[in-house]
Amino acid sequence: MENILLKKNTAFWIITILVLFVLSIILGIIMRLNQGAIIHLSAVTFYTDMTTHGLTMIGIWFVAGMAGINFIMERYVRTSYLANLLALIFTIAGIVMLWASTLVGNFHAGWTFLYPLPFKIMWSAWATPLFLFSLTAFGVGWLIWCLSLVTALLKKYSIPQVFAWQHFKKNPKVETPPFVLISMISLVGIITCLIAAVVLLVLLFSEYYSNGSFMNDALLLKNLTYFFGHTLANEMLYLGLAILYELFSEISGQPKWKTTWYVALAWNFTLIFILTAFFHHLYMDFVQPEGFQIIGQIASYSASLPAAGVTVFSVIVSVFRKKVNWSLSNLLFFIGVVGWVIGGIGAVIDATISNNFVLHNTLWVPAHFHTYNALGNVLFSLAFFYWFSKHYTNSKTNDRFSTLKLLFIVVGGIGFLLAFYVGGADSIPRRYSDYPEAFTSAKMLATIGAAFASVYLIGIFILFVNISNRCLKILFSRS
Amino acid sequence: MQNSLLLLFLILTGIIIVIFTYVFLSSKRDEQIQTGMQKALQKRFWFILILFIVLAIFASITIPKSPYFIFADEQPAKIIHVASKQFYFIMSDQAIDPENPTGESLIELNANELVEFRVTSLDVNHGFAIYNSANELIAQIQAMPGYVNRLRWKFTEPGNYDVYCLEYCGMAHHVMKTSFIVK
Amino acid sequence: MFKNFIFSFLIFVISCTGFVQSQTPDWNEETNIYESISNVPLKLINGKEIFLHQLAAEKPLIVALIFTRCTGVCSPLLFQLMENLQNISSGKDNQYSVLVISFDPFDSLKDMRLMAQRIELDNNQQWQFAITDSINRLNASVGFYPVWNDEIKQFDHDALLVGVNSDGYITKKLIGLRNEKEIRLLISSINNVFSPTYRLPNPNNLFSCFNYDPATGKNTPGLGLIFIALPAVISFSLVIGIRFWVKRKAFR
Repeated sequence: MENILLKKNTAFWIITILVLFVLSIILGIIMRLNQGAIIHLSAVTFYTDMTTHGLTMIGIWFVAGMAGINFIMERYVRTSYLANLLALIFTIAGIVMLWASTLVGNFHAGWTFLYPLPFKIMWSAWATPLFLFSLTAFGVGWLIWCLSLVTALLKKYSIPQVFAWQHFKKNPKVETPPFVLISMISLVGIITCLIAAVVLLVLLFSEYYSNGSFMNDALLLKNLTYFFGHTLANEMLYLGLAILYELFSEISGQPKWKTTWYVALAWNFTLIFILTAFFHHLYMDFVQPEGFQIIGQIASYSASLPAAGVTVFSVIVSVFRKKVNWSLSNLLFFIGVVGWVIGGIGAVIDATISNNFVLHNTLWVPAHFHTYNALGNVLFSLAFFYWFSKHYTNSKTNDRFSTLKLLFIVVGGIGFLLAFYVGGADSIPRRYSDYPEAFTSAKMLATIGAAFASVYLIGIFILFVNISNRCLKILFSRS
Repeated sequence: MQNSLLLLFLILTGIIIVIFTYVFLSSKRDEQIQTGMQKALQKRFWFILILFIVLAIFASITIPKSPYFIFADEQPAKIIHVASKQFYFIMSDQAIDPENPTGESLIELNANELVEFRVTSLDVNHGFAIYNSANELIAQIQAMPGYVNRLRWKFTEPGNYDVYCLEYCGMAHHVMKTSFIVK
Repeated sequence: MFKNFIFSFLIFVISCTGFVQSQTPDWNEETNIYESISNVPLKLINGKEIFLHQLAAEKPLIVALIFTRCTGVCSPLLFQLMENLQNISSGKDNQYSVLVISFDPFDSLKDMRLMAQRIELDNNQQWQFAITDSINRLNASVGFYPVWNDEIKQFDHDALLVGVNSDGYITKKLIGLRNEKEIRLLISSINNVFSPTYRLPNPNNLFSCFNYDPATGKNTPGLGLIFIALPAVISFSLVIGIRFWVKRKAFR
């Protein structure tokens, strides 16, 4: 019984996420069109659009990863349906509050809402607390969800087992499946950054309701903002990887991937590195001690080592000269890995302090994070969505035009991203609603970006119709 | 600098795409011989080791070039105080009183002379990014309320330099701009 | 992890006590920085005559401007400086000597010698007492403008310390009675130790991340840093706690 409920919940998650995804892509295209001077929005409209786009995207792809690992985790341990449902309710409530504060209340402090910007009211006065309450709703709902999943894992596995420490020795007695290991590593990281968000929110609320008697420190709050924001954005990618470790071999018709000592070691390292990598967001704040800046660069480099060395290599090993039953799902996984690696290269270049000096807050930044999101993490989650929708409607027929859909997504994605990268190399600032005349290439690049993003949107939209049709069937079926 | 970084990125991306395409095609082509990769564990070890060494070299070359260390042991010939506010910059060679901030409308600097910018913010976080006359970003620093950040730079080419705000600071973020002249 | 946690808390408490005592600095402190201090001829109480830049070239200087008849801030300024300097050991990047100059044209070398004897600094190698006949030039070059008040027969003036490096450039100014930490910052600045940042004091900021310690050139953790370390500590404890809890529940 529980399983059916979880299945329906997952189907509901998928539909919600895809609807919000399509809407958010449209918001993104509107921004690029405005930057290209094809349409003309007021600056306030642009920046509310930007705030909505950023936070919604992070939110939905995080819950997409969570919904995916929750569903698959049921294969190993019993998870709580209630926590899943609660998270769904809190997420939807949060999204409604968020959209109300931005689209109705005109709140436009950006997803980073760097202190003290949210308190310099340039919008309806109620929008600031509503925005903070929407984040609280996300924080509470997601924290409960993560803790319930961790509890479920810890009921079956001891702490050394869940982190696969027994694999450091030869011939371990118990095997920790890679999925369990990566899920646990990611969940601990996510809980950490959600607690950072709670601390951040408590400090912000304290100042808001103290009537000026309590003031925050801008440096501390910037650190906390990126501790939460960067780490969450990074960990949600690992949720996608956990699903990849479980499903890629299964869909390809190959034996299941096993945890080995190097897989265990790599992911344990990742847990540590990922918690200090966020320092690279503060490179240009010279007030941050130099030691932290250097830790930031080394942690950012190191975080890429185990993940790339182990995961990418594993994917290559399992495909190279092997029989693979290619379908849309594992193609999405495969292309997602490529996008993730390429985005990672862009990220490592930017995470170098001396490069960041000329790249920080230029279009290079959206360029690289859109690479491993739009052509990485999103594809991991879409692969899961597609697999889920096919698997549980017993649809054996292959969808027509699979290659065409992929082509739309990949070609659209590449064009859209190249416009960002070239813009970054042209020193064009990010988060500008209109470009000053001095940036001669900016408007043209924005228009090209918007055009290719529309192609990407077409691919996503077709996939969205396919998947959500089947998910609706799952939602309304009796079993 | 930016263009060489873009080139580096494109080359690496090209290599990645070629490798993955080759791997993908190998799974389709060799229907008969399903040998897989030989000595995968050994290759993985070498792959990680090489990656590690490349990154370590890259880090040891780039870290000393970080902006916190450049010109640290030289004496600045000039100090420019910068106070940023929604949505303008105040620049002065005198200290700026936060209660009554005033600056000079025209800042002139000498080429090949070490300048120290002391950048702070009087309200929210801002950026202070210097663009040369070809509109290339050459140096930047953040302006954070409550702190003074010091950026040292030597301008080698005379000309008009623009300063843009590179940290989102509200609805007129994109018009926040100032400029100075290097003689 | 917990050890670090307690350690950083202790460091914060210690550094905090120093921070509270400091006064709000004047924005005039930012004036004249990196300008050359006027190279005036000095007469020292040991009878030597020397130019200021020559003296600075021997060792970077902390210049204190006082007058001997002062009933106000001059003595506290010197006493506090003396006290603070006692805690600062001299190292390679920590070189300094203190130059006390009278800005009162009526002060003679004898007055200065008496003053030095009174505070028992006349034989201290680190301290020099001097007068100059070009005091107006010196005052102007450091942005110091005392005003004679005829009613109380005293100068109205700031308590000013000027840091001068060995090239004769002003690297930092401190106005008012300041704590040991800020004196350290002054000393590192005259030794040309570049710190890419400094903090504007604000008594409202309870949770700052770091307090800059110029003695070591490093930032010591502040209370705010605990907030950055806290999430990791809590989440790892949660994992251990949950495991413990589910095991006990299963056992029952």
